[in-house]
Amino acid sequence: MNCYSRLPQSKVNRKNSDRCPYLVGTIHFRFISARPFSIFFLVGIVVLSPSLRGQVPGELNKSLTSRIQPLLTQYCGDCHSGSKAEAGLRLEEFDTPEKIMIARRTWLKIQQQIEAGIMPPLQAESLPNKERVELLQFISQATNSIDCVKDPNPGRVTVRRLNRFEYANTVKDLTGIDYPAATDFPGDDVGYGFDNIGDVLTLPPLLLEKYITAAEDISKAAIVMPPQPKEHRVEWPGSQLKIDKGGRSSGNAASLFSSGEAYVQEQIPWPGTYNLVVTASGDQAGDEPVKAAVVVDDKVIRKLTIPNKHGEPKDFEIPLRLKSGRRKISISFLNDFYQESGKGGKKEDRNLWIEHLSLSGSKPVVKLPEDQLPESHRKLITATPSDQLTVEQATLSVLQRMANRAFRRPVAKSELQRFINLAERVQKDGESFEASIQVVLQALLVSPQFLFRIEVDRAPEGTSKFAKLNDFELASRISYFLWSSMPDDELFKLASQKKLQDEAVLRVQVERMLKDRRANEFVENFVGQWLQLRKLDDFQPSKQIFPEFSDTIRNAMKRETFTFFASVMRNNESVLNLLDSDYTYLNADLAKFYGINGIEGDQFRRVSLAGNTRGGLLTQASVLAVTSNPTRTSPVKRGKFVLDNLLGTPPPAAPPGVPELKDKKELQGTLRQRMEQHRQDPACAACHQLMDPLGFALENFDAVGRWREQDEGVPIDAKGELPGGLQVDGVLSLRKLLRERYQDRFVRSLIEKTMTYALGRGLDYYDLCAVEKIESELKRNDYRFSTMIFEILRSDAFRKVGTRSL
Amino acid sequence: MTSPRISRRRLLKSAGVCLGIPLLEAMAVPSRSVLAMAPKAKLRMGFFYVPNGMHMADWTPSATGTKFELAGTLSQLKPFEKKISVLSGLTLDGARAHGDGGGDHARSGAAFLTGAHPRKTDGADIQNGVSVDQVAAQAIGEENRFASLELGLEGSAQSGNCDSGYSCAYSSNLSWRNSTSPLAKEMNPAALFDRLFGVRANSEPAANDTANLKRYKRSILDAVLEEANDLKKSLGQNDQRKLDEYMYSVREIENRLGKADPLGIADAENLKFPRPPGVPKELDEHCRLMLDMYTLALQTDSTRIISFMFANEGSNRAYSQVGISEGHHELSHHGKSDDKQQKIAKINRYHVSKLTYLLERLDSVNEGDSTLLDNCMLIYGSGISDGDRHNHDDLPILLCGKASGRIKDPQHWSFPKDTPLCNLYLWMLHQMGVKTDSFGDSNAVLKLS
Repeated sequence: MNCYSRLPQSKVNRKNSDRCPYLVGTIHFRFISARPFSIFFLVGIVVLSPSLRGQVPGELNKSLTSRIQPLLTQYCGDCHSGSKAEAGLRLEEFDTPEKIMIARRTWLKIQQQIEAGIMPPLQAESLPNKERVELLQFISQATNSIDCVKDPNPGRVTVRRLNRFEYANTVKDLTGIDYPAATDFPGDDVGYGFDNIGDVLTLPPLLLEKYITAAEDISKAAIVMPPQPKEHRVEWPGSQLKIDKGGRSSGNAASLFSSGEAYVQEQIPWPGTYNLVVTASGDQAGDEPVKAAVVVDDKVIRKLTIPNKHGEPKDFEIPLRLKSGRRKISISFLNDFYQESGKGGKKEDRNLWIEHLSLSGSKPVVKLPEDQLPESHRKLITATPSDQLTVEQATLSVLQRMANRAFRRPVAKSELQRFINLAERVQKDGESFEASIQVVLQALLVSPQFLFRIEVDRAPEGTSKFAKLNDFELASRISYFLWSSMPDDELFKLASQKKLQDEAVLRVQVERMLKDRRANEFVENFVGQWLQLRKLDDFQPSKQIFPEFSDTIRNAMKRETFTFFASVMRNNESVLNLLDSDYTYLNADLAKFYGINGIEGDQFRRVSLAGNTRGGLLTQASVLAVTSNPTRTSPVKRGKFVLDNLLGTPPPAAPPGVPELKDKKELQGTLRQRMEQHRQDPACAACHQLMDPLGFALENFDAVGRWREQDEGVPIDAKGELPGGLQVDGVLSLRKLLRERYQDRFVRSLIEKTMTYALGRGLDYYDLCAVEKIESELKRNDYRFSTMIFEILRSDAFRKVGTRSL
Repeated sequence: MTSPRISRRRLLKSAGVCLGIPLLEAMAVPSRSVLAMAPKAKLRMGFFYVPNGMHMADWTPSATGTKFELAGTLSQLKPFEKKISVLSGLTLDGARAHGDGGGDHARSGAAFLTGAHPRKTDGADIQNGVSVDQVAAQAIGEENRFASLELGLEGSAQSGNCDSGYSCAYSSNLSWRNSTSPLAKEMNPAALFDRLFGVRANSEPAANDTANLKRYKRSILDAVLEEANDLKKSLGQNDQRKLDEYMYSVREIENRLGKADPLGIADAENLKFPRPPGVPKELDEHCRLMLDMYTLALQTDSTRIISFMFANEGSNRAYSQVGISEGHHELSHHGKSDDKQQKIAKINRYHVSKLTYLLERLDSVNEGDSTLLDNCMLIYGSGISDGDRHNHDDLPILLCGKASGRIKDPQHWSFPKDTPLCNLYLWMLHQMGVKTDSFGDSNAVLKLS
């Protein structure tokens, strides 16, 4: 068989050199979701060569008829055949590899049961190991074969709810409001190592409740409501007026009979024009009508002539410009006249009667000038009703734009109608235009098309069996991948011009987006989860043993790794630098922690590591600490980390319910001795043989990532032997090993992790085609970072909608 | 309950200090007349989960029956010995491997309240069972403002694989509304306070207040529900499932709008309970506040069903509070080391001290002639027995409270090997008035009398 190995197969695989198991590396392990590990791990990680894949169906067919069917009949046929087959499983029906592929899930279950030794059951004829391995290999081949030439399935992601980081970023870009959602939302569950997996992101009532609260807060902060017009109105019956000199209260009126005045003192709430209404009449006498003056704070404002007779009061309206504060408003009687015997001998007496005073004013509605409105408001309220624009027109204009951006696609008028109706309801209730928009914004922020990234089912066009995403769906996939947020104006524009499918355009966009500040979201969210750096926040190393560790160092550790990764990304360096490099980024604190001299200040800068034992992600304190226990290093965790996260070949967990060995003694001695005793146990040996040497090679780094020569007075022994006799001694030899032997595995693993994050789903066997294509393009382009991103964006998995795995 | 708001409010107001959440001064002898106004005692169902199993040698009382002694890990619970049963011998079969290999921690967390065997997946096709609290909530939750509450001190894991190919959804959620929908936990005591008492973090009335726009909440929910209905038609099957989940949540909140108002801040004042300040950094304080809220939610009859997860299953937290700097999970693989087992026992005692606090709180709330604790059936325990063996039989399980007198003589029961834990849940469901013949992998109703 023509196949090649990713591990030092010639050694590891010695015992099985005649056999070349058909496996697809990581993909195999993860896809058979119930078994992240396979017994094949022990015989080396062997990856199917592309040339072999084409021959698969024929070979499989032959092997099924000549070898497998007879095996199945002999060992399983008693129970699993015929009309009374156990579990309804009639193995004889599977006479072609295609039928096995169609019933893939059933066969994965069969594989599990055989691997776990559950089938065949104890009481049946036992399956010899050689046949067992043969059977398992066949099932693995038959359930994972895929033809990359013939329109392979691009897979299908389940609709993704925005996770809390995406939510906060999207709200920021949509409304301009910083909403610290992450602190209060329940955590998003993680699947396949990431928190952006459609299947795993749920929306329980608790979260919806938080979304509703958030929508209220955000829309309130984003849109400024116009100040409500305010009215100030006071009334004084004449009897309540104060009288100074020459007058008295008489019934309901104030009667001024000599040069006196009636007044009020009033707290004026805001400066402006008020309307004073004086209801007055006069006892007319002499040759002129009653005259009075309106006086504010001893200043005459207006003189009044009151010609009407007492008993026939009239209203006199006087506009007053008043300052705020306590003001005295008086009505003074100007032309008192008295004659005991006037014309015709009658007594003439001119008096002023003030029946009533009222003062009213409304606060002028001062709209904030355009440039004083918060940016969020200007961004959202793009039109207001005016002489040129009716309320309906303004509503439509604002909501159309707002909904397009919230749903990240053009929204049809018919879809918009329910939001217009909502706005109109609010307007009809007498609320302001702005209030109506605020209510709709609340609705948009809890709408399913905002909270979920919707990709609509549509029929395929052209020759492919699978439909392409439309330009807007693609724009969202790209922006959430690289920015964890909604597309910006440029992406929207390109989408509406249908240019995003153009590769030259896409290439320019990738460069632009990776250079943009928002790509830090990719670094923090992807790297923070890929390398588990988010767990560093909860790492509590013992204060007694590691007094030098502090939150400052914790943060500096994270910064180092993020900055290092970002530099590979922004400078478009080779992704191999992540595995091993001769530089890193440090500030004074972290350099001191590392024992590197001559670095001053808080600023992180590029530092050469030439001649240093450190180099590459694995030697950064962040990774070394996050794989340690609070009081000591854990070679097992570190070894497992290398396999899981750098090489993408997760070892199995400890066997279920590790059987309690009654005579098992407590493990004694140093950590290394205890580990060696542990490996004596065959149930444990299989995986620990692989994990432990990788971890021990890093023993010169303590649990917080500092270099050390000794542990509790004993010199560090960093030696180990991988299965097959490959020797590793210390970090330099591990780095060499990774560089020389595991480089391809690392690259593939990085592609797989990045694709998982980009797609929001676990990879499946059919994704092998895309992964391999990206891998070969990456190789051809000196492993440049942007090539990896660009090729992922170009893959069918990213651009098309297929079906879920069978 | 036709007008729960009024009766509850009136009760709280008139009861005032006497019914206050037990700040010490509020623990004064309550007056009879106030107690007479208490509503007919309602049975509550609660859960308190701790991860990684126990040091069983220190856990299990030596004698069975009513004359057992709460010793070792359980000795702190002595003040409540007349109100606690120890249930030995129960098994969580769903957490066993059944051919699925490693992953006992994830399975234990997921199976603890469901009794199901969770499907091994990192996410693509999550499948568990409905949890016992949710079965009860769906049957009787209508009567309260919150059908149930799910609380915890830790969010979901932040990254990485939680356990051997199992999605973190399994190890971080006890409560499952249906086989695919776990219910996230509330971790913030302040947010929980706000939900109970209807206040908001930024409750100062701003110049730009939208208070008068709150009346559009229902219209907003109607609009998005309508939108979801239209949208659903254009989606594939799995996407439709997600939309269903969304629509369920919207309806749930609409229902709540139709129910009683939140208690109101005045009630919180009557209860002498200040709004907690958010999530304290210190674990002890965080736990205390969450357990205070646990009590408050039951006391005010805001809900009758609560699940609480002290930490996610498989947690490797170091308990510096009791001088332990190694991680819990790491220690639980003790390899029979006496030193490590003693440390595990110490962590177990620390957890039990939190339970003791909760029981003190519940027991200090008077309800008629009994206390709130008397009207609880509160399950404390773990889905793993010995952390080193990862075995799921002979689980450490306590039943606290007297289930409103349905448990006549609290005692140490030792059930036959492999008695399903779900038999206990079936008994509890029956006490809650849920009519069902089975739950999870139950094969009979547990006999507790």
